[in-house]
Amino acid sequence: MSLAADAFVSQLAAAEPWPENATLYQPLKGELVRSSGTGLSVVAYLRMCGLPVEVVYRANAEYMSPSGKIPFIHVGNQVVSELGPIVQFTKAKGHSLSDGLDDVQRAEMKAYMELVNNMLLTAELYIQWCDDATAAEISRPRYSSPYSWPLSNILSYQKQWEVRRKMNAIGWGGKTLEQVGAAQTLFMLTQRLPVLMLLFTTELDALVFGHLFTILTTRLTSAELAERIKSYSNLLSFCRRIEQTYFDDKKKKSRIS
Amino acid sequence: MAAPDELFCWEGDWGLPSVSTDCLVVLAYAQFAGAPLKVRKISNPWRSPSGSLPALRTNQKDTLSRPSDIIIHLRKQKYNADYDLSAKEGADSLAFISLMEEKLMPALIYTFWIEPKNYVDVTRRWYAEHMPFPLNFFLPGRMQRRQLEKLRLLRGDESLEAGEELEKELYRDASECMNLLSQRLGSHKFFFGDSPSSLDAYVFGHLAPILKSKLPNGKLQQCLKSLDNLTNFCTNILLLYFPRDNRESPSQKTSSQPEGGDFDHVPNKRRKQILSALVALGAMLSYALLTGMVSIQHVQQEALEEPPDLQPIGSHDDEEGDG
Repeated sequence: MSLAADAFVSQLAAAEPWPENATLYQPLKGELVRSSGTGLSVVAYLRMCGLPVEVVYRANAEYMSPSGKIPFIHVGNQVVSELGPIVQFTKAKGHSLSDGLDDVQRAEMKAYMELVNNMLLTAELYIQWCDDATAAEISRPRYSSPYSWPLSNILSYQKQWEVRRKMNAIGWGGKTLEQVGAAQTLFMLTQRLPVLMLLFTTELDALVFGHLFTILTTRLTSAELAERIKSYSNLLSFCRRIEQTYFDDKKKKSRIS
Repeated sequence: MAAPDELFCWEGDWGLPSVSTDCLVVLAYAQFAGAPLKVRKISNPWRSPSGSLPALRTNQKDTLSRPSDIIIHLRKQKYNADYDLSAKEGADSLAFISLMEEKLMPALIYTFWIEPKNYVDVTRRWYAEHMPFPLNFFLPGRMQRRQLEKLRLLRGDESLEAGEELEKELYRDASECMNLLSQRLGSHKFFFGDSPSSLDAYVFGHLAPILKSKLPNGKLQQCLKSLDNLTNFCTNILLLYFPRDNRESPSQKTSSQPEGGDFDHVPNKRRKQILSALVALGAMLSYALLTGMVSIQHVQQEALEEPPDLQPIGSHDDEEGDG
């Protein structure tokens, strides 16, 4: 599609109001291995914007997405996948969380979003697929659960091979969790939270919450990264605050222990 | 006193101390931190201890290849360009480096290694001219395949190929990244105050090749040149920290000439002409032998001593009698 056509489609999309029947597609409920924290980040972001969305869980969500990336939203006749493009899409419709930021703050916010994607998302994948015990006991069975044998085995091993290949390419192959820099990223976030997140909620909050909450609440053979998060009181209280504000139905107590 | 660590990196051109982004990052950081490295600029990656460039050979004879690993090693040796940064500034630094790796690096790979005209006219040509024979015949191609593989992994797309859609997407991301860097730099000399840090080294390493190379398809270069503060930032670092490299090199003058005069300036011209002639001659002889134009016969000694009675060409009696 040409740039002119792209712009035209964007204008048309922006002109239409947010519908009541917007749908967010994710893999099976409780199956956090495939989408990691990104699905929760999108839900958090849309709730922060006050946009209604129905979450639909499908085993084949990955294959339903035109880009092959999850989660994705279906709004009217538009399909948009991943947090970044979804943020742009909602912005075109007049819903933005970062309008109050100046240029430097916006630059820093976007840089931190890349840091979280680069480090925390990769750390989640690393723990799930490169730690042999976690991969064998949790990740492979969970990933292959919607499929019958032998497809289940083929797909889960294929996924593990893909992730490990990527880890080797970025230099994370054969490293320990200590060496891959996830802990360093958490420390960086603790330095940044008081500065960026005092005045108003932004898409960075949604992204950070999605990943941290996922790590804190997903069952893994090694709780090393979750323990790291718990050691930073401001990260923990940040997660609780977002959970209570946007996800609690007031009766339940926080899922973060 | 222990011998200094030895840094192997690609040689420079276009007024840069090195043509490689990774090498530029390490060289800039070493300069900023005042690390006493013995720099070996080479054009044959096989002469590097790791088989790739950059590579740092330490006192303990260990070899490091990734810029991040080399920088960590230099920090452990107490050569730290980030010494004065606060925890918040350190966090910002890491965040902007992530931003560049995610948004700018793919566009850099595409510009130099995938975009057909840039690759053929500039990248492949530069490496082919500077590498020793016979490596220059196959190493640039192998390097391109590695870069394409790296881009596919960065983008998470196994079937990724050069095309208008991909180019548009990559350049849009890179343009956004450069704008964000420009906004963060503002009117300052460096990203954090008056002294350069690791972020400055990374930004310089990624932007300087875009700024200084002479590319036929220079969309990324145009975008960078529209951001005056980033352009000045790169120029200042070259003037302050690499004054000897910051001048037009002979090969740059060559590459900026019209296409008609290219052949007159080919290095090792005579050797290449002789080699071409030999290859052509070999090909012609092979063709002649295979098609039977020229045949080699083994004639026995006895046959030479007693030549057979040769029948006159005109006599066809036997054939006529049969009819």
